[in-house]
Amino acid sequence: MKRYVTLAALVISLSAYSIADARIKVSGRGAKMNFSAEGIPEMYKPSFQIMQEKCIKCHTMERTVIAIQTGRAPITGQPFNKQAVKAYGIKMLRKPNSDMNKKEIRDVVVLLNYFLDENAK
Amino acid sequence: MKPFYFMLLLLATALASLAMFTEDAIAIPAFTRANNVECSTCHTIFPELNEYGEAFLKNGYVYFGKGKKKAAEKSKAAPAAVVVKPAAASAGGAVVQGDGNADLLNKLKAGMMISSDAPGTAAAPAQKAEADGSNTAAAAGGEPKSEGIALSGIPEQLPISFSANFHGTYNSKAVNELDFSTQSLKLNAGGNFKEKVGFFGTYLLYTEQPPPATANTSTLPTNGKSDIGELFVIWRHAFDTPFNIKVGRLQPKLGLWKANNKLSTTNSYDTYAYTVGSSFFKAEQPQDAVEANIIIANRLFMAGGVVNRKNQNTKEYYVHTSVKIGGADYLVNEPEIDLNKEETILDYLTLTVGGYGYVGSNGNTLLMPQNANDFYRAGVDIDLLYKLFRLKLSGVIGNDDNPAIPSSAPPVKSYVAAVEGEYSIQQNLIASLRFEYQDDAYNIIRRYIPTLAYNPIENMKVVAEYKHESGHAYISNKEVDNKIGTLGVTFSF
Repeated sequence: MKRYVTLAALVISLSAYSIADARIKVSGRGAKMNFSAEGIPEMYKPSFQIMQEKCIKCHTMERTVIAIQTGRAPITGQPFNKQAVKAYGIKMLRKPNSDMNKKEIRDVVVLLNYFLDENAK
Repeated sequence: MKPFYFMLLLLATALASLAMFTEDAIAIPAFTRANNVECSTCHTIFPELNEYGEAFLKNGYVYFGKGKKKAAEKSKAAPAAVVVKPAAASAGGAVVQGDGNADLLNKLKAGMMISSDAPGTAAAPAQKAEADGSNTAAAAGGEPKSEGIALSGIPEQLPISFSANFHGTYNSKAVNELDFSTQSLKLNAGGNFKEKVGFFGTYLLYTEQPPPATANTSTLPTNGKSDIGELFVIWRHAFDTPFNIKVGRLQPKLGLWKANNKLSTTNSYDTYAYTVGSSFFKAEQPQDAVEANIIIANRLFMAGGVVNRKNQNTKEYYVHTSVKIGGADYLVNEPEIDLNKEETILDYLTLTVGGYGYVGSNGNTLLMPQNANDFYRAGVDIDLLYKLFRLKLSGVIGNDDNPAIPSSAPPVKSYVAAVEGEYSIQQNLIASLRFEYQDDAYNIIRRYIPTLAYNPIENMKVVAEYKHESGHAYISNKEVDNKIGTLGVTFSF
C-alpha cells in the first residue's frame, strides 16, 4: 500500500509540470502556464518575481514560456533569441504604463537570457 | 438636477459598472482575431493607434515580423544582445542561438494558443496530432489551415468586425437639451491575402437620421445613410520593389493620423475636417484614388497619389513625407538602447514629423464650368511621445480660388491649427486637451476640447468630452458660442 501511495504522490507531483521541454521546468497549463520557481537559481528569483508581477499586465506567462521553449515568438513566429529578448525588453521599457524601469527591464532580460541558455543545453 | 450634472452622474455610474467586468476582458475584432494579439498591441484606446498600429497600417495589414521581412533589414536593425553584467548569467551574451524551432511552435500553437485552457500538457496536443496524422498541426514552417482555405488565400478567421456607438449629448441650445442617440453601426473588414495583398473596408450600416421637426415626436429615427467609407486593396511590394500600391476608395495619405485615429468620438482634427465656403473638400474625406507609398531606410515614409472626381476631367494630386526619430522604426525594429546605462530622456523620446500637400479642383462642370474652384492645402504635423505624455501638433494653410462654387467669389486663404496634449493616466484611461484655431475667411473659430477616454474592456470604450466653440462668423456677422458635452459609448465585436 505504501508503495502505491508513494507512486501516486510521484505521479501527482510530476503532473504539475509540463513535459514540453525538460530543460526548463514549467508548471501549470494553458493560460496558467509559468516557469517553475523551483528550477530557478536564487540569484534570479527577484527578477523572476518582477517578471511574474509586471509582464502579466498585458499577456500571460504562457506566451513567454512557449517563446523560450521553442525559440520562436508565438505571435510573429520570429526567432526568440538574445537579440530578440533585448528588443522586447526595449519595447517594454518604452511602453507607456508598463511600469518597469530600466533596471527591472535589464534584470528580466538577463533572466530570459538564462532561460535561453538553459534551454539550449 | 441640471442636465450636465446628470450626465456626469451617468458617466460615473457607467464607468463604475463597466469596471466590474474588466477581469474577463477579451478583444475580438478582426485584426486581433487574425493575429491573436490584444487590441492594446496597436491601439492606445481604440481607434487611436500607437506606433505599432501605425506600422501595421504602413505594412499593408500584415502583422509586423510575419512574412518575408528581408534578412538584411532584420540584421541591421536588431539590437545587439545584452551583455549581462552577472558573469554567471549567460555564457556568451552576444551569441545568437539560431532560428528556434518553428515546427514545435506550430504544434504548440495548434494545441494551446488557440485554446489556451485545453487540458493536457504543452506537448500533448502536438503529440496527439502527430499520432493520428491529422492536419491540425501545420506543415513545417506553415500555420494550421485547411487546403481549401490555403489555396483561396482567405484568412483563417472571417476578417470582419462591427463597431457601434451611442451618444448622450448635452447642448443647451438644442430643443432636446439632453439627447440620447443610437449613433451608428459600422461594418469593418481588413486583412491580407497571403501577405501579398492587403485590404481594408468600412461600410456604414446605420447612422441616425432624426425625424423631421414636423413629425410626431414618437417617431423613431431612421437610417440616415448607408455607404462605403473606405474600400481598397494594397499591392504590397509591387513587382518585388519597395513600393506599395493602394487602389480604391481611401483616405489620401496627407496628415500623420487617419481621421479616426484619435480619442474623441465626435471631434475630428479640424486641420483635416474643415471646409471653406461651399467647397466640400476636406483632407480626411475618402476619395477614389491610386496611391503609391514606400518606406525608405526604415524611418522615412513617402506617399503620393492621384484622386479621381466624377464629371470632372481634372485629376487631383497629393504627396506626403514623414520621418520618425526615436522609438521603433516603421518596420517595428526597436531602437538601440544600452540597458546597462542610466536612463536618459532619449530612451523614451519619439518624434514624428510629417508634411503634405494637396492640389485639386472642384465645382460643377455642367452648370458653371467657368467657376471651378482650384485649391490647395499644405500642412505639417508633429507627434511627440515621451513616456506617458503625447503631444500632437497640426497646422495647415489653404487657398481656394473660388470657395463660393457654383457661384463666384474672390479667392480666400485659410489657416487652421490644432494642438492636443494627452496623458495616459492608466493603460486604459487617457485624458487629453485639445485647442483648435480656424480662420477660413468665413469664420474665425476657437475650440477647446477636453476628453477623457476609458477602456474598461479592450473592445469597449467610454468617452466623455466637452467642446467649447467660440468665435465670429463673418457672413452672418454673428458671434459663435457653442458648448456641447458628449458621453459616447463605443464597442467593437
